[in-house]
Amino acid sequence: MSSDETEITYFRRASRWKYIVILLIAALIAIIIVSLNVGYAQISFGKILTILGKQVPLLDSIVDSSLILPSEAAIILQIRLPRIIAGVVVGAALAASGVVYQGVFRNPMADSYVLGVSAGAACGASFSILFGAGFSFFGLRIIQVAAFIGALFAMFLVYNISRVGPRVPVTTLLLCGIAVNFFLYSIVALLEVIAGDELHAIVFWLIGGFSNVLWSDIWAVFPFIAVGISISYFYARSLNLLAMGEETAQHLGLNVERVKQILLVLASLVTAAAVSLSGLVGFVGLMVPHVTRLVVGPDHRILFPASTMIGAIFLVICDALARVVATPFASTLELPVGIITMLFGAPFFILLFRKKKESYAL
Amino acid sequence: MDRNYIIATVVIIGVIVCGVILYAFYSGQTAQQLETLQNLVDDTNYKTSLDAIPEKIISLAPSTTEILYALGLDEKVVAVSDYCNYPYDFAAWIAEDKIKSIGRFDAPNMEVIASLDPDLILGTGGVQGATADTLRNLDYKVLILNPPNIAGVMQNIELVGNATGKTAEAATLINNLNSRIDAVINTVASAEFTPSVYYEVWYDPTSLWTAGSKAWQNELIEKAGGVNIFADQELEYFQSSAEAVIDRNPDIILLPAQGMGFGEPFWGTLDDVKARPGWSTTSAVQNEGLVQVDSDTIARAGPRVADIIEDLAEAFHPELY
Repeated sequence: MSSDETEITYFRRASRWKYIVILLIAALIAIIIVSLNVGYAQISFGKILTILGKQVPLLDSIVDSSLILPSEAAIILQIRLPRIIAGVVVGAALAASGVVYQGVFRNPMADSYVLGVSAGAACGASFSILFGAGFSFFGLRIIQVAAFIGALFAMFLVYNISRVGPRVPVTTLLLCGIAVNFFLYSIVALLEVIAGDELHAIVFWLIGGFSNVLWSDIWAVFPFIAVGISISYFYARSLNLLAMGEETAQHLGLNVERVKQILLVLASLVTAAAVSLSGLVGFVGLMVPHVTRLVVGPDHRILFPASTMIGAIFLVICDALARVVATPFASTLELPVGIITMLFGAPFFILLFRKKKESYAL
Repeated sequence: MDRNYIIATVVIIGVIVCGVILYAFYSGQTAQQLETLQNLVDDTNYKTSLDAIPEKIISLAPSTTEILYALGLDEKVVAVSDYCNYPYDFAAWIAEDKIKSIGRFDAPNMEVIASLDPDLILGTGGVQGATADTLRNLDYKVLILNPPNIAGVMQNIELVGNATGKTAEAATLINNLNSRIDAVINTVASAEFTPSVYYEVWYDPTSLWTAGSKAWQNELIEKAGGVNIFADQELEYFQSSAEAVIDRNPDIILLPAQGMGFGEPFWGTLDDVKARPGWSTTSAVQNEGLVQVDSDTIARAGPRVADIIEDLAEAFHPELY
């Protein structure tokens, strides 16, 4: 293949990527609108549009909201919308960092929790539940701050233990991550045993969920996640090089150790911010990148943005399902979203994988 | 002399007759009591047979402890759980070694139980089901009290009375409780308005839990002249959503004052509850309908059932009290 041809196929592919991204953005918006309609309270689509329109400057003077009950406006604007936005933010964050971890480690089992981030967050959250009652940190909930700090602390611990001179070999990093994970989870288990009444709070946080999330909780983590994802995206080419092996990447001019360092810090920051908002929502960081890879291929320049959006879509759908899937049994029954992500996500992934496993490449 | 013989004979015969009558009376009663002791059927339909009135009793749960003490069995209780805190400060008793602790309610210490060699063990259902099976395999006498409703509590009190030789005390206690509950029902019957009530089991950023029609609190709310906003949900305790609460617009929000038991309440302060997103539209927040209730009394299916119904009725219908 001549270099011209390579360039032509690249541009052909790049233009296809553009369509994929546009399609996913449209799908995300559609899912958000649909899931605004999903919930216990029966609020018509027209009313939802009116409620939302009332919030838009200029439009609010034209919109007639006289038929809207205050409780309906409260349900849409203060309960459902924050939930959905939290789903978008957390889903995007977990999936994006999942792509980075799998890319850096070149390991399909690596996920956003591999560097002890989840165990660190769980540990921090449990400590704050037991001993931090009544404290707050610049108006933020102490559990959110503690989970964030715990996650970052665990990540730095793992990173520094596994450093061999200036290098951080992937194998030692993974093994240290696993060891630190076990160690920190044993502390969580210990805290659970002595927790007494606060046991409920720990257990629910470990399952994960954002049913009663506040706008202020979301704004607190949004900057970390937005900045982390944006910067990581510019390393998509570096991730492609890393996929060929660290030595090859080094020979091709990539400062492997430095890129690894930057990407792991960014991904851990993003994950820590996400789990501090939602608790430990499982499966998203591990499986969404794989599903996306099956659909768009292994090139990180499309894999990264597509995973981010599919992660957001996936979690918003799961949270909508959590609201309604149990209602045939009892009309107001909800399930924890962390259970839905695994219960519905895993069979879906297996189905997709069975169909496409021949063509699969990391 | 003849007269003396006659008197002596009459006295002797009289003593013998009295003895026979008394013997017949007491042995009959003992036989009846023994039959009661040998046919104790608990809430799991398990039949327990005791050979004698138990002298050493262990209580694994707060509600069973409350029943034992309400029947005046203070001297016979040798151990309680760490969660028992009524009618006495058992934590202090345990520290002073006045009574033993079997440890956690959900994980009783088998070695402690065995070392005390109890004649009878009382426990509750749920997490204690497996414990009961283990103890029965070890040949301990275990009664599981897991009443689904108020009538079940009365049956439990009767059962414990039968098992401990306190049948009369149990009957008195049951009559007393029933008449107090009936008094409340009569009082609230004249109310013009039945408030809708949301009972909060749990609230944190991850989830909201409440009680459906199968929960113990549903009947308490009804008897006190209110209606549970989730009475149409045929569930015990379940995860629901804030939007369902707001949509069903409760007049009263019942908050367990000490959270799940002791320590800080999970819901923070009353202002925190009022400030929850969207909750300001509910009748309860707008009309000062936030009510704190004793976490233990409302959660335990025991002899304080009349207390909590009276408290709730007062909170639901202040105009009648």
